[in-house]
This record gives sequence, structure tokens and C-alpha cells, in this order.
Amino acid sequence: MAAMKDIAVIDGATQPRARGALRIGVGPRGLTALRQSGALKALFPHRGSDQVVLVNTAGGITGGDRFGVVLEVAPGARLTVTTQAAERAYAAQPDETGQIEIDARVSGELCWLPQETIIFDRSRLSRQMRVDMDAGARVLWCEQICFGRLARGETLRDVRFRDRVEIRRGGRAVYLDGLDLTGDVFATLDRPAVAAGGRAMASLVLAGPDAAEHLAAVRALLPATGGASMLGADVLVARIVAADGYDLRVALAAILRRLSGRDLPAVWRS
Amino acid sequence: MPIPTVEAVLTLQSWLSPGYPVGAFAYSHGLELAVAEGRVGGAASLELWVRDVIELGGGRGDAVLLGAAFDDWAQADTAARAFAAGAGRLTETLDQGRAFAATIAAAEGGAADPVAYPVAVGRAARASGLPRTLAAAMYLQAMAGALVSAAQRLAPVGQTEAQGILARLRPLCRAVGAEASHAGLTALSGAAFLSDIASQRHEVKHVKVFRT
Repeated sequence: MAAMKDIAVIDGATQPRARGALRIGVGPRGLTALRQSGALKALFPHRGSDQVVLVNTAGGITGGDRFGVVLEVAPGARLTVTTQAAERAYAAQPDETGQIEIDARVSGELCWLPQETIIFDRSRLSRQMRVDMDAGARVLWCEQICFGRLARGETLRDVRFRDRVEIRRGGRAVYLDGLDLTGDVFATLDRPAVAAGGRAMASLVLAGPDAAEHLAAVRALLPATGGASMLGADVLVARIVAADGYDLRVALAAILRRLSGRDLPAVWRS
Repeated sequence: MPIPTVEAVLTLQSWLSPGYPVGAFAYSHGLELAVAEGRVGGAASLELWVRDVIELGGGRGDAVLLGAAFDDWAQADTAARAFAAGAGRLTETLDQGRAFAATIAAAEGGAADPVAYPVAVGRAARASGLPRTLAAAMYLQAMAGALVSAAQRLAPVGQTEAQGILARLRPLCRAVGAEASHAGLTALSGAAFLSDIASQRHEVKHVKVFRT
């Protein structure tokens, strides 16, 4: 797949600080493929569980780093992916962007529930996630972004962050989103139709035959700075803006519990 | 070969005028909810809100889609539907796009297939040889005009204040139109989170003046 292939190419001009590649395949009876190299590792904390915890042994991402993840979920299989810790986008050289590419091919069920990504000042990060679903597949996807280490009083004045998500079903895009934040991100977040001073944001998608059944419940669980809607009959989308990562996680917890049909990964609760 | 600027402006002005029967007056793009929740309360806060929508939200997104429709309108339409913030926004863009395409097909010829509104405008502009930068800038100005006019029905914003806002937003419409209409679909992005959230929340509002 594209992400895997790109990672294998060594670019002689710039020496990357870290690179990691991970490929996980699951079938109805469990793991069917596992390949890991570099700074990305997969942990399977509970025997017989569908949960995998991704670990970035580099401790974060900075300029020149490249990470690629490929996920394959066969018919009848279920995979829940989370991360051991928040992903940290560290300060980088101005002309060096860290890259994360994730490709998922889902015939069964995928719950993509990483912990939050924390954007540091002077970071340069470009992420792209592509999900290809079969007609009968179910995908629960949620990303949380926290802007700055607020406890340290960090402000974001010089950032380049690019994020792209594409979820396709039967080859046709059913959900597309992108975010480009450049420069003085706090000034942007202060704007009234952006985040009105909020420093954390989550996007959520549930694509699957049962999506519409959850709309009313999700709306009832949302804070006043959150909204949910349907994109077509079976794609539920939601977005939440919050003051910080803690408030965001509190707002999300009950919603994700309901949509995933089980408790959140243990790493989330610690 | 592109047609002369005067003709292009005249054509786009009629297509994008409030009188063109696309029903633009029925949509507030989340602004009604923003007023109800106290986020927009008068001319000053309205100007900031509309500026955000044009520069970082649905405005820029539409300008990207309008430009992309020059290259491949079917692909731009698929992207428009997947990029919408929710059911309300989807209705807003598809209803206006359908009306625009039907009107233009009947009035002066052209494709009538229903597509998202900016895609319909981009498709028609390309078919008529109109420049995409101009089409996008005028589309954004029309959108700003529709938002400001919607706000005038909801909040104390006077006619002169409204025109002042639109005059100050003109350079922004020009800049965003120029950048976004040539950026291509990979540039589709949006940061006007609370504007999107407002349109999602509007869907469950009980008493409404606008459909979105």
C-alpha cells in the first residue's frame, strides 16, 4: 500500500530523525499479518481482544520524521486501534515537515481511537489518513487535536499543520475533511467562527449501517460547543470544540463508549 | 478563449445576484444559530463571523470546489458532498445547486444535472468561458452578501453597516477567490469549526427563520 511503499524509500538528501512503519492485518480469528519496523510498535495488551496499542518509540514526531501505518480488517473481523500516549508534534526546523500516513482497508469493523495529538509551537506536521471501506463495513473514527501545552503556558505562534482525512466506500468518498493551520494558530483559534478561544478540537465519524440510530443520543451527549449530523443515510459526523484536551476527552468519553459498544481502551482512562 | 471582462462580470452578476432563483434567502449557513447563541449580536461581531466563513470556512471550501469544477465537475461534486459539514449544509448546497443548474439550463442552455451549488456555478462558468478567479471572487462576495442580509433579519444590523461590512470584505473575497479557485481538491480544508457546529446544531432548533 502507498504508505508502506513510501516509507521504504530512503531519501538521501535529508536524514530523517525517525521513521516507523507498521502493518497490521486481522481476520475473524485474530491477527493475520504483523510487520513493524523502526520507531513504530504494536502492543496487544489483552489476549483474545481486538485491541492494538500503537507505540511511537521515538516519543513524538518532528521535522523529517516519517511514519506509515497500514491496517487491513477482513470481513467478520474487528480491530480497535489506539495509541499508548498522546502523539506530540515537536518543534522542527522550518523547512522540515514530519509526515504521518495511515491507510486502512476495512471489510469488517475498525475503531480508530488514538489518544490526542498535541501540537507544539514551531512544529511542522503533515498527516494523511485514507480509509477504504467495503459496502458492509463499519468504521468509527475519532481524532483529537490539542493546541499547545497549556499547562506550561505554551502559545502557538509559528506552526505548520496539515491534516487530511478521506473515507471512501466502494471507491467513492463519503467523508472528506482537511485542516490547514499555519503561523499564529492561537490567533486563528481565537476567531469567533473558528474556536472562540478553544484550544482543543475533535472530529468524529461513524460510517456504517447503524449510524443513524445513534444521532439523537450523540446529540444529547454533546456539549454546547459540539454538533452532530448525518452525511447521507449511514454516515454520522460530529465535531467538538473545547477549552482544552481534558474537557474534550470528558465530552467524548460517553459518546465513544456508545458508538464503539464497549469501554474505552484502558490507556485512554489512565 | 476567455470572453472580455465586461461580459464576464455582467454574466456573473446576474447569475450571482440575490434575484437569481436559487432560494439563497432561505439559508443562513449556521448564522441563525450563532445569533441565537449570542455569538453574533451586531455589526461588529457579524463582520468577524462572516470574515471567518469566507476565509477559513464554507466560503473558501466553496471557492476550491468552484475552481475544481472547471477541471472535472463530477469529481468536484463528489468531493462537495463528502466535505459538507452535515445534513443541513448538504441541503443548502444541493438545493441551491439544483435550482441554479435548472434555471441556467432553461434560461440560456447548459448542463442541468443537479450538483452542489459551487460546482454548478463553476461548471456553468467554464462552459461560458468565464475566468475562474473572477467567478470565485464574485461567488464569495455573493455569499458574504447573503450572510449579511440573513443577519439583518436576525440582529440589529443597519443597511449602511451591512454595506460597510461588504465593502471591507471585498479584498478578502478577491484574495480567497484567487488562491482557492486554483488550488485543486487536495486543498479542501476548513477551520471554521464553530460555524460548522452551528449549522449542525441548527438542524435541531425548534423555531427557525432559515433552513440552515
